[in-house]
Amino acid sequence: MMQSSPLNFRRAVIWLGRLILGPVFIYAGYSKAFLPNSHFWPWFFLKFSLSTNIANFAFQVDAFKLLPPWGVQFVAHTLPFTEIVLGFLVLIGWQLRIFGTMLAAIMVGFSVVVTRAYLLHMNINCGCFATPQPINMEKVMEDAAMAVLAVLMAVFAMIEARKPHPWSAPSAAAPATMPATK
Amino acid sequence: MEVFSDFQCPACKSLYDATNRQLMDNYVNTGKVYLIHRDFPLPMHAHSRVAAQYSRAAAQIGKLEAVEEVLFQNQDKWEASGDVDGTVAKVLSPAEMTKVRALVKSGAVDASIAKDQALGNNTYRVSQTPTTIFHANGQTYPYAGVMSWDILKQFLDQLLGGK
Repeated sequence: MMQSSPLNFRRAVIWLGRLILGPVFIYAGYSKAFLPNSHFWPWFFLKFSLSTNIANFAFQVDAFKLLPPWGVQFVAHTLPFTEIVLGFLVLIGWQLRIFGTMLAAIMVGFSVVVTRAYLLHMNINCGCFATPQPINMEKVMEDAAMAVLAVLMAVFAMIEARKPHPWSAPSAAAPATMPATK
Repeated sequence: MEVFSDFQCPACKSLYDATNRQLMDNYVNTGKVYLIHRDFPLPMHAHSRVAAQYSRAAAQIGKLEAVEEVLFQNQDKWEASGDVDGTVAKVLSPAEMTKVRALVKSGAVDASIAKDQALGNNTYRVSQTPTTIFHANGQTYPYAGVMSWDILKQFLDQLLGGK
């Protein structure tokens, strides 16, 4: 008889991670690239809106005083779209070991950077979403919690990938469950 | 273009440094763009209201550009020391400073600053500085934040070409 997939702790964490971190990353990337300036038609408005939103985000990245100018521009131009793509891939659970690990690495990076800014008493905007968010203990704890969830999701995805799927055919060594008929 | 700005805001300084000179030379002085500076001092900046008062007073004696420039160029200094008066005095003559101080002290410029803030809060829902309101072809387009000169130039050219 086919067994239904057991919901164990690892799988619950993986689901939780996908359902929380996926949408958060998608929204974070969307808000950086497409907010607050959201005039998108005609074409030159789209270009101007995207450019000003990314310029705003670059300003926020620069405020952390961690990267040289070229690094700031690189992060500003790539991170929003990376977040959107990674968030979507993690949400649908495709190649979770790879993309979950990438998301976890980014999330840990965010947590470290925000914690550093808090410890240095930097009075700056987090830059996480379109609306200004100060860096305070609440923000530090929030990022740390998401980083922990992301890491657990990635680790558990690797562990689960090594185990046979509960719906796969039983191995030849396993005893038969039905008695042989005479 | 209406630019809602706070003299103590780093992003406003960045926008000013990146775009103001070229904007004035290529678009304002040639009559293509009408630029209006709106004071929008934010409550979290301790000295921005005083800076706005001095710049508004300087505008009344025809010295807005010089004062605007010295305030933005020395933002980090007067932000730390609070010495807006000393900063402005670098670019004005003693007679001009006397007039500016009198205007600031009398409160004559406060009403116009309050009017700008009301316009920003009530009409355009300005939530951050700098916010640039573009008026073109009968339409209004608010844009929040900094922008590079190259992108702004392209945008202005497109807007102007749409007439």
